[in-house]
Formats: sequence, C-alpha cells, structure tokens
Amino acid sequence: MAQFKWVFVAVFLGTALVVAALLINARRPSLERSQPEAALVEATGKCAECHRRETSTVVHQFERSKHAAKGVTCLDCHRPAAGQESQDHRGFVIAKELTSKNCAECHSTEYEQFARSRHAAPSWAAVNGAKDFSPAQLELGERYHKGWVDRAAMGIGAMEGPAALASGCNACHAVGKPNADGSFGSCTNCHSRHSASVALAREPTTCGQCHMGPDHSQLEIYGESKHGALFQAQRASLNLAANPKQLTTSDMPIPTCATCHMSGLEGMKVTHDTTERLSYFLFSPVSQKRPNGERGQAEMKELCMKCHVRSRIDKFYAAAEQVLLATNDKVKAATDVVAGLRAAGKLTAAPFDEAIEFKEFDLWHYYGRTAKHGAYMGGADFVQWHGNYELLKLRREIDIEAAELQRGPAAANSGGPSLSAPPVPGAASSTVPTRAPAQPAPSAH
Amino acid sequence: MRAGFSESLAGRVVRRLSPERVLHAFIASNLGFLAADIALAHAANRFARREEWWPIAFSVCAALLLVPSLLRPARHAILRRVELLVGAFSVAVGVLGMILHLQSAFFETQTLETLVYSAPFAAPLAYVGLGLLLIMARMERPETEIWEAWVLFFTLGGFIGNLALTLTDHAQNGFFSVSEWAAVVGAAFGCSFLVVFLLRPESRPLERALRYVLAFEATLGVLGFALHVRSNLGRPGSWFDRALYGAPLFAPLLFADLAALGAIALWSRARRAKA
Repeated sequence: MAQFKWVFVAVFLGTALVVAALLINARRPSLERSQPEAALVEATGKCAECHRRETSTVVHQFERSKHAAKGVTCLDCHRPAAGQESQDHRGFVIAKELTSKNCAECHSTEYEQFARSRHAAPSWAAVNGAKDFSPAQLELGERYHKGWVDRAAMGIGAMEGPAALASGCNACHAVGKPNADGSFGSCTNCHSRHSASVALAREPTTCGQCHMGPDHSQLEIYGESKHGALFQAQRASLNLAANPKQLTTSDMPIPTCATCHMSGLEGMKVTHDTTERLSYFLFSPVSQKRPNGERGQAEMKELCMKCHVRSRIDKFYAAAEQVLLATNDKVKAATDVVAGLRAAGKLTAAPFDEAIEFKEFDLWHYYGRTAKHGAYMGGADFVQWHGNYELLKLRREIDIEAAELQRGPAAANSGGPSLSAPPVPGAASSTVPTRAPAQPAPSAH
Repeated sequence: MRAGFSESLAGRVVRRLSPERVLHAFIASNLGFLAADIALAHAANRFARREEWWPIAFSVCAALLLVPSLLRPARHAILRRVELLVGAFSVAVGVLGMILHLQSAFFETQTLETLVYSAPFAAPLAYVGLGLLLIMARMERPETEIWEAWVLFFTLGGFIGNLALTLTDHAQNGFFSVSEWAAVVGAAFGCSFLVVFLLRPESRPLERALRYVLAFEATLGVLGFALHVRSNLGRPGSWFDRALYGAPLFAPLLFADLAALGAIALWSRARRAKA
C-alpha cells in the first residue's frame, strides 16, 4: 500500500484543486451562475466585453442603472419578443428593433396604462392619421379615444414635406408610433435606453423635450411657475430616483410634471396614462370637458392636497376654468369670423392658402392653448402676455383683414379645391389639412 | 515493390524518431497552429486592435524558422541561435499578450467578473511555455533526466494554464452544463499528478498512474472537442459565426496536446531505462 502513497497524494491534491475551483465559482454572484438559459448567463458579461470598446457609454449607463442592480441582463431586454424580427448577433439572437413590447415583458401594467393614454395611438394619429395602425391597434386606440385615432393625417406636416414631418413632427409624435409587433412607441423616449431611469422620467426637461415651444409651452410655463422655481432651488434635496410605488412627499416635496400627472404619491395609484388626472381637452381650439374629466379633476385635486388646502385648490381651479371659458369665447368668435368669410365665398375651401387662415390657426393653436395651459399650471405671464395679449392682437388683425376681404371680390376657388395651395410632396390625395374645429375633435396637435 | 519501398520509408522515419526530434516537431507545430487558433479568436473581436495581428505574424514566422532545424538533426550553430531567438521572442510575445488581454477589462476593475470576461489571460502564456521549452531544449542535453524533468515541468505549466482557462471559459457559460466541470477536473488532476511526479520521479506506481492520467487527458480533449462541436451546432447563426462566437473549438484539444508533451518525457524515460 505504501508504494501507492504518492498516487494518493496526487489524488488528494487534484481533489483539493477541484474543491477550490468549486468554491471560487460559488463566490460569483448568482446572477452570473443561475439563469434559465446559457445565453442569459453569457449575456451577463459577454455583451459588455465587446461593447466596452464599441459603444462604451451604453455599458457605463447600464452599469449605473437599476436594471443592472436588479440583475437584469442585456439579453433580457434585447431578446426578440413575440412578433418581433430577430437577428443573429455574435452568437446571440436579438431583436432587430426594441419597442415598448420588450419593456412590457416585465412592466406589463405600466405598458397597458401607456397604451390607453393619449401618448399612444392618438399621438401618432394626430400627425399621420390612421394609415399605419393594424386593425387591433386601431380598435384599441378608438376604444379609449373615439375619433382621435381613426382620422385623417395632419395637413400642415404634409404641406411642409416629409423631411420636416420625419425630423419635426414625428420626432415627438413617435412616442405612440404603431410597431409591427402590435405595440405602441418606445418607453425609452422618457426613460432613456440603457439607463432605464425613473429619475430621468421625473425630470421636467424630459417631458419638455416635446412639451415646449409656442404650441404647447408646458416646460416654459412650469419654469415660470412656483413649482418650477422651487424645483430649481431645491432639486438637490429631491429623491428623483425613489421607487414609484413607495414615493412620498419626503422624496418629492416639490412636484415635477410626473409627480402630478403620473406618480402614486403616498399611496395614490401610479399611472402611465398621463391623461388620467386631466379635466379638459386644453389642446382643442374650444376646450370641452374630457369624458372622465370630473374623475380626473378629483384625482388631481387629491394629489394637490398633499401640499395645498382644499379651499385654495378649489379657488385655483375656478380661476383656471374662468380663463378657459373666456379663451373658448375668444377662439370661437375668431373662428366664426373666418368661417363667415368662407361662407360668403371670400376664402377658398382649401386650408392654409390665405394669410388669415394662418392667423386663425395661430390664435387658437399658439395663444389660446398657452393662455389655458398657463392658467392650469400657474404661469401668470403665459396667461397674460404670451396668451391673452396675443389673442387680442391677433383677433384685431383678423378683424382688419376680414373687413378688407369683405370689401374685395370673391375668392377664385371658393367652392372647390384651391389651385393656389402649395404642392404636398409625397402626400396622399386623401391627406387633407385639418382645419381648426370648433369642438373637441382631432386637431393639428 | 511499392509496399516494400513504403515499409522501408516508414521504418526509416520511425528509426530516426527520437524524443528530442518529436519535441522539436511539437514546438514547431504548436507555434504554427497558434496562428490559426489566434486568427479565429481575434476574428471574434474583429481584430479591434492592430496588435491582435502580431501573434499571428510571429507564429507563422516562428514555425517557418524552426523547419530547417527539424529537417537537419545535426544542427548548425546559426540554427541554434535562430531557435534561441525564436524562443526568446516567443516568451516576449506571450508576456505582452497576457498583459494586453488583462488590459481588455481586468485592469479596470480587478474583479472576478472582469477576470472571467477579459480576453483569456492565460491563453498567450502558451507562447511563454513554448518559448521556454525551446530554449530549454537547446540548453539541456536531450533525453537526460533533467531534460525529461523540464519537459514535464512545462507540461505541468500547460495544465496550470489549462485549469485557469477551463475555469474562466466555462464560468462565462455559468457552468450551465455539468459536463463543463469535467474539463476542470481533468486539468486539476493533470496538475496534481505532474507536480507530485516531478517531486517523486522514482515512484513506479506514480509513473504508471501518470501514463493513465495522460491517456485520460488525451481522451478528455477529444471528447471536449466533440462536445464543443455539438454545442456550436445548437447555436444560432452561420457556421462561421458559430465557430467564432460559440464554444472555442480547438481549446479542448489542448488537453490532448499537453498529454502528448508529457508522453514525450515518459517515452524518453522509458528509452533511457531500456538502454
């Protein structure tokens, strides 16, 4: 037996090495060892191995994200969901294009709320009409927003040309773009891609990527409001990354857009339907109450009460409603003037081929909206100088121009399509520019 | 007539074979094969850095430079110098390669994860092993006890590297299949038997056991190759993509390669014992 001593020593040493290997492997995080598929294990490190060189930022963004902290791998998001086209990518099968459907694999409730919001189908339809939707997408959009999805494309974008449409209008309205996999848009518009950040979605500037400018100046109004001023002063003390389901006023003592429109502050329901707490269709030329406007207002007021007393909130809403009703009257009166001219044959039937039509459009689309948004968001300067003053000025100009038109001859094509309308590059013949409707109906924005 | 000619040729080749010449052929063929192996490995990286071409160029040149001394056993002094030079360069390429591989990720954060997902840091050490083996072969008298000990020592070095490679490579896969541990077990026992045998070369049972272990390693290498082929067949993508991004096809053959190296030393021992 003694002659085999060194064989036993070798066996013992070999066994010790194997045990050491097992122990080292056991010390690795379970994320890197325990996955349902080998590809998911590889994705915990293989992807970064190349992307650290090729697109290093995405690796660093992901490493700082909550997704990384929770053990989500690259492949968890990049693998093709049902109905998505796939491609081979260096040993992995990944989706050719990621959509909100990939996010919905884990965040289905959030996606469902988003899918029934105006950010989904109505947003895309507002510019592009109904032509891009599948029957199922159209049905879903119409179920929640009757008349806002199954509609004609916006005329102005088509008149401006496909380049303006693609890089202008659709850069924002793609938030609800119908995807081939049946979903709408992409969550990354607000949360970014590899950061997948809740904090980013709570930043006013994130909403302000689209909700800014003369036609919907929410970011500018917020900046002028007390909320915005406080945010600027105290943002360092806010916990913008707080868990949405456990958000308190301690995390967010100052509201941003998301706090009022989406957050579940202190037990309230979180929602990705940004329209749920709204009362009126403020973007319409003549604003009317939303179908669930009473409930929406009640929910918003409940949130306001986290900071303000009931009497103050009611007073604020009453004052805002007064501005809204007054603006409605002003817009209605101006559009009546233009409608009267058209009825009298002083304007062609084609939209946007006469100067007064642009003035009429600007009146409600820029200044009417601005006055109303200013009133509901606490932006006094936007109610007054950027809103009502401009309404007054434009109304005066419309009146002067209308008087001149009344004195002149009838328009050349008052009964039929205008020959003087600018050519519409690439636009289908059915694409008719949308006029400012008197009642809530699909509008230019 | 033809059969007689063949037998005579084969007989002549076998008669002229010696552990020293086989070791020389081993070194030259390994250096040459590394060109193909590295070309495949760096292609997965799309030769992201220009330095990735260096080992390929070196391997081709080194293998070609070693051919003359392979054909002429009675070597000229200049061939000896060329061999020593190739050996020295091989060591330099290996050390530089290891540093560059570790630089790819591990030097940034020095974690177990970045060690696993760095470019395989132990792989370039094959050059160090082959280079030192070449230098040793020119410095020691062939087929002596010390020459055999050196060969076994480098076999041990290879198995240590193989242990690191099998651990880190299969860790990338999370040891998803239990069979992946077989490679670790094989490398571990290769190391342990070689290290004990180097310390106790007089033990006959240990020498016999080492022969079995080396036979086992060779079988494991071929089996591993088959398993890697099977794994790649189940992967997505073209054949080329599977070879590039799938299980490394040639890696398991390192077991058989090292078993052959160890066998050269044992063969020399057996010849000496007979003499």
